[in-house]
Amino acid sequence: MIRFLARRLLFALVLVVAVSSAALFLTRLAPGDVTSQLGPFASPQEIARVRAQYGLDRPAAGQWAAWVGRAVRFEFGDSFLYNRPVRGLVGRAAANTAVLAVVALTLATLIGIPLGVFTGSRSGVAATLVRAASLVCISIPPLLTSLLLVFVASRTRWFPTGGMTSVQALDVQWSAWIADVAAHLPLPALALALPIAATFERLQAQSMSDALHQPFLLAAIARGVSARDLIVRHAWPVSVRPICAVYGIAIGALLSGSFVVEYVTAWPGLGRLMFEALRARDIYLVAGCAATGGLFLAFGSLVGDLLLAAADPRAREAQAA
Amino acid sequence: MALVVYFRPAGGPADDAPAARRGGQLVGAIRGEPRSFNRLVDRNQTTELLSMLQHARLVRVNRETFELEPWLAERWESSADGRTHTLYLRQGVTWSDGTPFTAADVLFSLDAVLDPKVESVMASQLIVGGQPIRASASDDHTVVFRFAAPSGPGLRLLDGLLILPKHKLEARLKDGTLAQAWDTKTPPSEIAGLGPFVLREYLPGQRLVYDRNPRYWRTAPDGAPLPYLDRVVLEIVPDQNAELLRLQSGDIDLTQSELRAEDYVPVRRSEEEGRLRLIELGVGPDADAFWFCLKPEAKKADPRFAFVSRPEFRQAISHAVDREMFAETVFLGAAVPIWGPITPGNSIWFWPDVPRYPHDDDRARELLRGIGLEDRNGNGVVEDGRGTEARFTVMTQQGIGYYERGTAVLRDELAGVGIALDIAPLEFGAMIQRMLACDYDAIYMRALTTDLDPAVNLDFWLSSGDAHFWNLAQTSPATEWERRIDTIMLEQAASVDQERRRMLFRDVQRIVAENLPALYFAAPRLYYAHSTRVQGVRPSVQRPPALWNADSLSVTN
Repeated sequence: MIRFLARRLLFALVLVVAVSSAALFLTRLAPGDVTSQLGPFASPQEIARVRAQYGLDRPAAGQWAAWVGRAVRFEFGDSFLYNRPVRGLVGRAAANTAVLAVVALTLATLIGIPLGVFTGSRSGVAATLVRAASLVCISIPPLLTSLLLVFVASRTRWFPTGGMTSVQALDVQWSAWIADVAAHLPLPALALALPIAATFERLQAQSMSDALHQPFLLAAIARGVSARDLIVRHAWPVSVRPICAVYGIAIGALLSGSFVVEYVTAWPGLGRLMFEALRARDIYLVAGCAATGGLFLAFGSLVGDLLLAAADPRAREAQAA
Repeated sequence: MALVVYFRPAGGPADDAPAARRGGQLVGAIRGEPRSFNRLVDRNQTTELLSMLQHARLVRVNRETFELEPWLAERWESSADGRTHTLYLRQGVTWSDGTPFTAADVLFSLDAVLDPKVESVMASQLIVGGQPIRASASDDHTVVFRFAAPSGPGLRLLDGLLILPKHKLEARLKDGTLAQAWDTKTPPSEIAGLGPFVLREYLPGQRLVYDRNPRYWRTAPDGAPLPYLDRVVLEIVPDQNAELLRLQSGDIDLTQSELRAEDYVPVRRSEEEGRLRLIELGVGPDADAFWFCLKPEAKKADPRFAFVSRPEFRQAISHAVDREMFAETVFLGAAVPIWGPITPGNSIWFWPDVPRYPHDDDRARELLRGIGLEDRNGNGVVEDGRGTEARFTVMTQQGIGYYERGTAVLRDELAGVGIALDIAPLEFGAMIQRMLACDYDAIYMRALTTDLDPAVNLDFWLSSGDAHFWNLAQTSPATEWERRIDTIMLEQAASVDQERRRMLFRDVQRIVAENLPALYFAAPRLYYAHSTRVQGVRPSVQRPPALWNADSLSVTN
């Protein structure tokens, strides 16, 4: 187990370095740089000053080496857009995204897996409707889902239309602040959770259907096991393995931030920060966001592997080896 | 000394007198983060808006009437030659931290803007006749400004002089770090201002919160202290669609900028439901421009430059575009045709008789033939005698509906006379980088002016200017007509005779219309919407349309 964890830690380190370095290089190589944020008519002196300040007057390799040298001390440089250190900005945004991701994943799990078990073990109108709804949720682009939910929120006033807190939460106690954040969560969480729940439902349904035709299930039926126990105790543990495999990817993707959902719903998370940094060619902020995203992806992958190991003894043995 | 005296009595009361309710908070939306709270070093729209909330000027250009009005200076006297201006500051004004405001703050602010170490983005506006404006104080409440030469805009230039607290920033100016002062990490209590609000909190990615400045100096017509509002909150909403939905739902009261043409219908519905008030601001002072890179040094190897540099080529393009249809298609009808950079929205300087190019494809083809461009191989695109086709790539900013519609209409219209356009929507940063390097054929975009007086926008008109976008920052004028414009504009900017200035500027508009370094087709009609709970809005065609007058805004509940 220790070897397994050490391997994963090394993998995470390599992933973070590779992703952030690639982000830094690609941002550097892409047309335009951060000085375009000064506007079309900035003076040459102003442009030169900003380029020097952000190391853009140096060769890309030299800039990368200097950045890595600072990054090992957890100093990721300053953001041009926000004019403040990247570390604090990314830390705050990552925490906001983590809150959203946990809620979205919980919702997706609570909605997708039971519905998948249902549609995988039953037939009829209800199962057909659930399958159709899942296909719709998978097919609609996140941008449309987000805008649709903002529109619904604006018409019904069931929940706030965007942001993470309301203005009224400025002078309140912690408990009221948490309640305020909770009130803002449904919209972005639903926008993120619906396609993932639909994916879980489809995977779980297929896997459950396969499991119910396994010989050991037929033997259990022959032994007179009740229909409920057949599904919950015998078929589901076997059918959940594909879900565990994609769970890691879902965790990683959610934690790295969904820029579309966060952008439309004005959630101050990692995805939105990354999007704004990319748009502005804010090179150190892009690299910082990418490093954090890589870290989250590695974490998601680790959780996925651990879940798979818990669900499947063969995977556990393979990991131990 | 012969004097021109401006005096407004009553100590600066607000002009608008609606039955305003005191208290409450107004929630606005902005789409970008501030990079700094220091307006001297940051020119973006968010920082400009925040400076309007927290700071003040000696005189102010009223964004509704575009007239100059007293602000921290309650009156002034100007010499007949327009070189000396004596401003009398209001008595009893204090900074938001309680320190008295005096002439020393004014002198400090001018020094700060003009200090080379600060590299202020506002410095160029305070240069007259090639020399920085000088100032001296004869007492704590009298400041004398001296210009090196007469100036047409005169004291309007001081609208660009933000008054800063000497007691807070003097040390930073002395040690050469003023440019880094008041960044976004600065504790709000460190930022003292003379504006109606003081910063309370900035949450990156979320919002800025401004509280009422209890020491604000301006009063309402009934003598009550301004501002009416207790708090202004600016929510950061990056997506314009989401911003509109939040406005319609009542989550925000107003936005930072005008509506897009496509938003008019949904907002109209909200107005009918009584939730929003829709205002037609009028024709915007800025219009989309289409231009080619006309820098000879950058284009010497390009065989197309031989005909692109000819005014007849650009006149042919002007004839080829049906401006009525352009306005109808690109701005969904909410625009008026124009023939130059000055739109009817700039009523003081607009010249309705500027030379026009009526839609006439035959005339366009004739002009092209006149410079040797004909479709010799029958492929629908004209070429010169050496076979060089009139085919260009036009860059525009991606994701902006009217830019994309505008370039599509231009492509179709110019195809009718044998000029081929390929459209390249680019990310803003990439486009600007290529524009600065003159690494492009043509561009379609809009540049916003800072002031309607052309003499305040010399960086656009003069060939040496950084905003002379078809051929930036020339060391000497590349063409004879640009040399003529330089001469006339310098005379225009230095004249204090307004009628003379108007006539000179007509000459400039005529030269531009004849040579068409940039082509203009339609100026949009601007619409603005705000919640019906907001009172006292005096809409402006310039941004920000409502919050420029934040001290007189109030809310009903």
